Amino acid sequence: MSESTGHPRQLSTGSWYAVLGHRVTLLLPGEERARVAGLWELVDGGADFDEVLDGLLAGGIRALGGFVLVGHGEGTRALVRGGVTLTLATADGDAVVSGDGEGMWADRTLHGVTGGAVVLEGGGPADQVLVSGIARVGSLSFGDSAGVDGAGAVTPPADSHAPQEEPDRAEESRPVAEPVAQAPEPEQAEPSEPVAPYEPVADVVPIEAATSEPTTGAPETGEPLTFGAPTDEDPTPTGEQPAIAEPLADGHAVLDVHDGRDDHDGHTTVGPPADSFVRPGIPGQELAPPVVSRPVAKLVLSTGEVVEVDRTIVVGRAPEARRFASSDQPRLVTVASPQHEISSTHLEIRPGAGADHGSAVVTDLGSTNGTVLVQPGLPPEDLQAGIAVSLIPGAILDLGDGVTIQTTNP
Amino acid sequence: MKPVDLHHGAATDVGHVRTVNEDSFLVAPPVFVVADGMGGHAGGDVASRIVVEEFARLVERGYDPRRGAEHVSDTIARAQARIVEYGEGQRAEHPRWHAGTTAVVAVLVDDAGTTKWLLANLGDSRIYRFDDGRLDQVSVDHSVVQELVDAGSITAEEAAVHPERHVITRALGSPEGVRPDFFLLPLSAAERLLLCSDGISGMIPDSEIAAILDAVHDPRDAADALVRAALDAGGRDNATAVVIDVVGLVHDDSYDSERQLASLEDKLGARP
Repeated sequence: MSESTGHPRQLSTGSWYAVLGHRVTLLLPGEERARVAGLWELVDGGADFDEVLDGLLAGGIRALGGFVLVGHGEGTRALVRGGVTLTLATADGDAVVSGDGEGMWADRTLHGVTGGAVVLEGGGPADQVLVSGIARVGSLSFGDSAGVDGAGAVTPPADSHAPQEEPDRAEESRPVAEPVAQAPEPEQAEPSEPVAPYEPVADVVPIEAATSEPTTGAPETGEPLTFGAPTDEDPTPTGEQPAIAEPLADGHAVLDVHDGRDDHDGHTTVGPPADSFVRPGIPGQELAPPVVSRPVAKLVLSTGEVVEVDRTIVVGRAPEARRFASSDQPRLVTVASPQHEISSTHLEIRPGAGADHGSAVVTDLGSTNGTVLVQPGLPPEDLQAGIAVSLIPGAILDLGDGVTIQTTNP
Repeated sequence: MKPVDLHHGAATDVGHVRTVNEDSFLVAPPVFVVADGMGGHAGGDVASRIVVEEFARLVERGYDPRRGAEHVSDTIARAQARIVEYGEGQRAEHPRWHAGTTAVVAVLVDDAGTTKWLLANLGDSRIYRFDDGRLDQVSVDHSVVQELVDAGSITAEEAAVHPERHVITRALGSPEGVRPDFFLLPLSAAERLLLCSDGISGMIPDSEIAAILDAVHDPRDAADALVRAALDAGGRDNATAVVIDVVGLVHDDSYDSERQLASLEDKLGARP
């Protein structure tokens, strides 16, 4: 997954988790280990700020003492919760985003951010560099953080044997580095109470590197696949027989296209990667979040089976799942239907996305005999094939042949 | 995983036009693979062979049938790494060297105690199932025309003659990394599976594929017949077919299902 277009972050070791992707930087306290695993999948998959925030909050916010979420895009958006302070360097000086206030979190969007730094615990030198991955950190800085004092302890990265990618920018930031935040309280007991007070050093020296910093990490470049070839002007990226212009003696050139005009493979080329591929086949419906940190509902089947909705569930007489990635394999639930009233792939229930986030959503997949839904306090309704309906706890689905599914809280 | 008795047959042919067969296939129950290489000159044939080798290794080592998707996806990733590495070596001498390959994979897996088909696809090779006399394309091509069809811009008929019909959007060997699509089918949903390269599906229409799969009982003969039909239709590309039958599969449509449907139609005024 590592691409040279990512931006490196300098880290010092500590007890917090840093989850670093091309589009977001996320910091979570050490006790949030469970969330980190799920969120890494999202971040590594190229999820943007909103998607990661969705995933972060899926497990509830009450238990979440503090976090820092920075989205790197056209502008830089930062959310900070708990007693953590993030310093962002812009051309106009530093901006401090602190989660100390009254609100649920501090939320700032800044443009022209050249770098940033956050110190969670005092201690070690920021001698590690990571572009993408998970790390235990005590402080973190990115971009041109030289002027930002949180990254005061930046030292040149260890030599290139380090498994991470080597940033050039770290070198640039070294001379200006000024250790200030050397709060000598080793091993703070609660990571959620990081070293608070430090002041940005006045003279920020924005480096042009910052301009190239954010958006470049976007995985889709729209460029055709080139099979790793140097991007020379090769006319047939994967053609069976590259069309080579051979100059003849009389100065004319002959195109050596050897295969027949209709030859299949001779023409097969790899186009640009498909970015906006809608995976599961329900048009117009939002996709389930790829990772749900805990089930949104529990299904109690009349057969006695109990199924948690933490992924897409497909129910039918002999259900099939179509077009999924290896990481989001749906669960297939087979129900007996001696009268064949239930279709082989009858309906699906998935964790809702967008407005339905946090609840289960049912869709009839074009079953032959249909599905009846009874929501508490509402008259029974027939599900329209392909139209998703959000399920209230207590809702009962009737598939036919005496098979019902009751939705309960997880 | 309960052992399942599979009958299978495979056939491949270089075709009438090409000099090298860049298709590779693997028949190692319960794993079946067809890979269609691209890029001549010790390119496509090596790339497709690498995919087959990696899956052969998976069979040799054994895999946990409960984690099929993971194993298949890891195996594809290993093949991808080898193809990219091989390509880098080749490009040191031939700067314009390229290679890539498609892959379609069928493996038996254990899904919550039941044996199922796990199918994977990258590129424009295809997986069909033949069930109850009907042919159904399970895999969805990773191609520009398929996306246009999905978007409703062109019809399937227009796709067959579209100028960009040979442009695929995903393949092994591309530096962007690979994301196979997976499919999970109960065994009962596919009496017969066909894995084939576009040398078959691009040369003969689906109706002819269906007719052959229907008429030819033995899977070995069926695979042969498919390849022969592709050659007879012009054989402009390497053609490879792998046909797999699940033995002892009884179709479970009850005797009165048609009547039930008719009576429901009566009651509801329309077929629901």
